[in-house]
Amino acid sequence: MLAANFGGAHPPSQVDGGASCSRFSNRMEQVLQFFRNRPTLRTTALLSSSLVWLVGFFLVPLLYLLAVSFAARSPYGTIEWDLGLRNYLRAFQPLYLETYWRSLWMALLTTALCIVLGYPVAYLIARRVSRRWKSALLLLVVIPFWTSFLVRTYAWMVILRTEGVVNNLLLSLHLTHEPLRLLYTPLAVFIGLVYGELPFMILPLYTVLEKMDPSLLEAAQDLGATQVSTFLRVTQPLSAPGVVAGAVLVFIPSVGAFITPDLLGGARTMMVGNLIQNQFALVRDQPFGSAVAFLLTFVVIAVLLGTLRNAQRATREVF
Amino acid sequence: MARGNTRSFGLGAAAALVYFFLYAPIAVLMIFSFNRSRLSARWLGFTTEWYGALWRNEQIFQSLLNSLIVALAVTLVCVIAGTLAALVSARARLRGRVWLDGLVYLPLVIPEIVIAVAMVVFFSLVHLDLSIWTIIIAHITFCLSYVIIVVGARLGGMDRSLQEAALDLGANEWTAFRRVTLPLAAPGILSAARLVFTTSFDDYLITSFVSGVSSTTLPLEIYSQLKRGITPEINAISSAILLATVPLVFIAQRLERGALKVRGALAGVAAVFLLMALPLVARTWPTERNRPQLNLYMWSTYVSPRVERGFEREFHCKVNYDLYDSNEALLAKLQGGNVDYDLVVPTDYMVEILIQQRLLAPLDKSRLPNAWANLDPRFRDLACDPRNDYAVPYAWGTTGLAYRSDLVKENVTSWDVMFDRRYAGHILLLDDAREVFGMALKKLGYSLNSTNPEEIRRARDLLLEQKPLVKGYNSSNFEQDLVAGDAWIAQAFNGNLTFAMRDEPRIRYVIPKEGCTISVDLISIPRNAPHKDLAHQFINYFHRPEVAGAFVNDSGFNSPNRFVARGVEPWILAQPAIFPDPASLAKCEFMHDLGPAVALYDRYWTEIKAR
Repeated sequence: MLAANFGGAHPPSQVDGGASCSRFSNRMEQVLQFFRNRPTLRTTALLSSSLVWLVGFFLVPLLYLLAVSFAARSPYGTIEWDLGLRNYLRAFQPLYLETYWRSLWMALLTTALCIVLGYPVAYLIARRVSRRWKSALLLLVVIPFWTSFLVRTYAWMVILRTEGVVNNLLLSLHLTHEPLRLLYTPLAVFIGLVYGELPFMILPLYTVLEKMDPSLLEAAQDLGATQVSTFLRVTQPLSAPGVVAGAVLVFIPSVGAFITPDLLGGARTMMVGNLIQNQFALVRDQPFGSAVAFLLTFVVIAVLLGTLRNAQRATREVF
Repeated sequence: MARGNTRSFGLGAAAALVYFFLYAPIAVLMIFSFNRSRLSARWLGFTTEWYGALWRNEQIFQSLLNSLIVALAVTLVCVIAGTLAALVSARARLRGRVWLDGLVYLPLVIPEIVIAVAMVVFFSLVHLDLSIWTIIIAHITFCLSYVIIVVGARLGGMDRSLQEAALDLGANEWTAFRRVTLPLAAPGILSAARLVFTTSFDDYLITSFVSGVSSTTLPLEIYSQLKRGITPEINAISSAILLATVPLVFIAQRLERGALKVRGALAGVAAVFLLMALPLVARTWPTERNRPQLNLYMWSTYVSPRVERGFEREFHCKVNYDLYDSNEALLAKLQGGNVDYDLVVPTDYMVEILIQQRLLAPLDKSRLPNAWANLDPRFRDLACDPRNDYAVPYAWGTTGLAYRSDLVKENVTSWDVMFDRRYAGHILLLDDAREVFGMALKKLGYSLNSTNPEEIRRARDLLLEQKPLVKGYNSSNFEQDLVAGDAWIAQAFNGNLTFAMRDEPRIRYVIPKEGCTISVDLISIPRNAPHKDLAHQFINYFHRPEVAGAFVNDSGFNSPNRFVARGVEPWILAQPAIFPDPASLAKCEFMHDLGPAVALYDRYWTEIKAR
């Protein structure tokens, strides 16, 4: 039963029709003919399921959340419809600004680190290895996704503990005399974030580097460019859309991260994701949590708007 | 070209390092799935017992089944609806394109946590019961866009003349679609399907907000197992899933490159799925579906297989449980009003709130003879529920101070060590506003139920001053940090320490001389519980001395049943942390609901955490 369901997720594209299907084909043909002469209706019909869903289960909840962000909180954590700007005013207190700032630079640093680590890998896969190696290496980038993110994060806890893998190694090699403090530090949060998001950088980079026309590189070399300047003047600009797409894909989840700071940061390095989550799950201040959530959304969209056109094109190219 | 070679070598070395970085944690988790130690931090020898334990763990298989159902349903809906929409969005010219793109890209741009909270307040608003369906709805919402974008990109890059050629050659529209458009879109559809399936299968954040009665998915189960510290089983299941999915990824990738015929690939995928499904069906089938169900919502530390299985056998029913890690998480779920649990186990002060909020059903006391006969008088008629109209004590404990006697070389009797600079960076606090403030208030000599704003402010200042010394906040598996030596001193629930102290005898537990919290968790029936009969039977069953004893043996927490000692293993009875002398208990104070003052605690707590 499971297999049948999964099979259903794929179009039976190359499965041959045969006689039993001809009635179905005729019916479908009639439907398509009907829509052919009514293009507006056709567009509406094709879009309707997705549109209804996105409006009903995404836009409406989001607007309701926006309304909640102007409401007040009762002592017991229920919502009181006493509308005002108080949550937004509170959200701009210096204390919280510090949290946003921390999230922002941690996300930016994570993005930068992902570019630095992801570029060589993407470049190697796209331009330096044979076709067989290419698919094997790409597969190796994807496979970690098939283990639970939580378990991979937990594995890092085991590695970074005071009596963990890294410290045991360092101590047995006499590189340190005292175990290093690694777990529950911002460094651990960084490692977790970069680890979780790195493949999102490698894949888009790979896609653009792969499509790059090798004759451009040859032309640059023929014109006497050194390898460094070829890279800076040809490869790098041509791969820019991939960098942008990757940066967008890495930045968004990092800036709203919640599990990684909780597990690897010991809930001590609070990021804006934790602030929001705490408001909903622990201190039950839903209106304030909603206000912070919307501020985060606005910031993310503002950051993206500048790059959105690029990002959009790049995202399309990537897939 | 010597220089080129060095550069290639450099590149290869850099890439190798990155791959090492990607696979190190996976190697660690696979290796540790064979570790004899329950606490993953140390290697104590090779064993396959965790794979055996995994096979016997019904809860994990049930959650795996839930995850597969969710991921398959989400993939199916998203692929169909998304592909249809992509046929439109791929067209170059389209009126209202900006709005369409905006709507499609928004779910990807908005941080996941925002979608999660929007969904949860929305479901509560429209009174949609939290269940596996709400999980599916929420997942579709954030996955649909992937399909529209990915398939749209593929179709957009497609040569339209191919389709026209087919029509010119006399194919009708349906045939042209089926024979030309669909095969060309297939790789895009496949990679979208793969993306959606993985994303849905692995989602924790949104799922944790919108899950309801017995709809625990694998990531939720894994999270609560991590919090409980029973990790080798989780390592085992992750390794097993990884091994099972490698062939799936492999087939999908070859298919996307066109190296495989679709039919062959589908056969391969089906075979792998069947292989995965067989043990799953074998493990989840025998439980008769039409037996009455009892849905428990309780602390992740209170799981006791002997209690639950015993009740199932005797009362011919099925006990399902979902787990929480804080009273506030419980309140949030019950306040939403759209989740139907039969039994919950809130802490005393939360019972006050739940009664006040009319979220609990009154008990039929005549049906609970064991409870009245066996309950320790100390725990009867507590202030939170003066006549036991709504709740019966279930477990109790103290929140004191735990430390490693080999690392803290002094005789610890006071909270003062928590503020001692010598231990900076080794101090762990609970991730719990009331408990942490309770400690600070006690140290200042106030009641831990203070509603005096001045006293609460002083406690906040003390905690802000202490913050640089604090290593982290952990309410759930702090005992692992103590065992592993990451923390030297920790604020601790005594029950969590029972098994940790067995594994690491150098952990000590004290009730500080300033006093600390004593707390009782009470079992009660939510107002809208569907199976109140069975719920009463469970409460009465639980207060048999031998059942209460089994609970203590499994969970490590003490029971308010006065005859419990009869059923408890001797080594637990000998632990003063769990069975303390009455004199030290005299210094402990119960927590009470603080009414409006809670808002002040919550606010200051956010300030301390954000600093």
